[in-house]
Amino acid sequence: MHYDVLERWSRGDSYFHRLDARVKILALLLYLVAVATTHPFTWSAFAAFAALAVSGVIAARLPLGGMLARAAVVLPFSATFAAISALTGEMETASSLLAKSYASALGVLLLAASTAMPSLLDAASALGFPRVLVLVLQFLYRYLFVVTDQAQRMRSAALCRGSALRRGPVRERFRAASGALAVLFARSYEKAEGIERAMVARGFDGRIHLLYSPRLAWRDAVFLAVAASAAIGLRFLLTIPA
Amino acid sequence: MHIPDGFLSTPVWACAGAASVPGVAYFARRSRAALEDGQVPLMGVMGAFVFAAQMINFPVGVGTSGHLVGGALLAITLGPAAACVVMTAILTVQALLFQDGGVLALGANVFNMAIAGVVAGYLPYHYWGATRHRGLAVFCAGFLSVFVSACLAMSQLLLSGVPMPPAVAMLSLALFAASAAMEGGITLAVVGALERLNPRWVQGTERNARSGVGVILVTALLLASVGALLASALPDGLERLAENVGIAGQAKALLASPFADYEARFLQVEWLRKAVAGILGLGVVYAACLGFGKIAARRSGAARSV
Repeated sequence: MHYDVLERWSRGDSYFHRLDARVKILALLLYLVAVATTHPFTWSAFAAFAALAVSGVIAARLPLGGMLARAAVVLPFSATFAAISALTGEMETASSLLAKSYASALGVLLLAASTAMPSLLDAASALGFPRVLVLVLQFLYRYLFVVTDQAQRMRSAALCRGSALRRGPVRERFRAASGALAVLFARSYEKAEGIERAMVARGFDGRIHLLYSPRLAWRDAVFLAVAASAAIGLRFLLTIPA
Repeated sequence: MHIPDGFLSTPVWACAGAASVPGVAYFARRSRAALEDGQVPLMGVMGAFVFAAQMINFPVGVGTSGHLVGGALLAITLGPAAACVVMTAILTVQALLFQDGGVLALGANVFNMAIAGVVAGYLPYHYWGATRHRGLAVFCAGFLSVFVSACLAMSQLLLSGVPMPPAVAMLSLALFAASAAMEGGITLAVVGALERLNPRWVQGTERNARSGVGVILVTALLLASVGALLASALPDGLERLAENVGIAGQAKALLASPFADYEARFLQVEWLRKAVAGILGLGVVYAACLGFGKIAARRSGAARSV
């Protein structure tokens, strides 16, 4: 998992990084709806939407090659269905599935790589996500890599002790794996209790208070206007039959 | 199965989103008590646990291995409402950070895995967890949570017009059953190990739950998901059946409903027309059920008072 890459990218500094996260989420949704509803999704449409996303990547001063490669994570799934479509003779659907999923993934990645997770979650809260869900997301993100690293360490330790995780009959390995998972659960549970006590001791009342309140600036309005008109414009330009 | 963006047609993702927003809001409300109990850090860390659990491989023979998906395990340890919120959080992080599932498709993925999957993974445990078939109940919980959500995802793809020959759809149904059985086995093993470590970590079950209600609910869920898959893989199967049997003529006359062919003709946009007709149809069915229920209740009340 290359989690640190996205984390590092999202802490960068550029015009795009400084935009308000709420505005970026709205722009992303417009872009995704435009991509999803453009029909038929030809290669020219794909090129136009990809160019829009790539211009965002350049404005955010993110590494283009890395972004394009990371967005390709969706391709194995899409390629499976595209292959089935191609076999049934629907070449257009096949290429459209590949192109649409890739263009959408690039857009989502641009948001994730240019916005730090805490401000993204604050924006989600401001846009009406339930409070419990936002809090769970905050804790989940905070402890995601802590628990993952713990699992990794437990795995190496078990292998060093010559555990049955790798060798032996299937039955034994299955039992060993379920035991390992139960221990991981136990450690996570204890960790959560510790966190809860520490947070109550610090006066946590079920709400995370921010030291700043995000305010919309002119540049946010300008960005939203430009992004919205680009996405909507492309959507309607591209559906005019040639 | 996480559906990426670009696969679902607009009516499908819009409807799935419209269904899952109130669903998640409802479960978030119900788990609000967790906020006062200081359960929120636990829910977050359990979400992280499900992520990490994917690194532990379970061998299933023939050289293949699988890993925990987690919907049923979360429902059994945290309860259905908290499990739904945690699953939604997991799916959101997967969509944003790992490009695993789309953002517009998040509504559909949440509906399949966090709502239908969690409910399907809780029902068997709730109704048969306290009986002597407890092991089977936990296995079924894991099995159903994966099977129901995979079938729903597949039927959404088919409804969106992703081409798929019926043979491939049937093959994938068999694959879903295999991976669902794997999840059932993993859930059973992990719940057993957890109970040995600390029985408090597993949700209590209702001792006198009515298992008849459970049978009806589970059957309804299975029918809805597998039926949706079959209906979208073999469209017009019912009509063909009717024609073959030779009752098509009578059936057409019988079923000349106000929503003939499921379309409300006064609307211009085709998918909107179908959606409105569907919702109206649901309303009619709901009203009919309500009426039946009233009558049945009055009858039984009368019988009791006699």
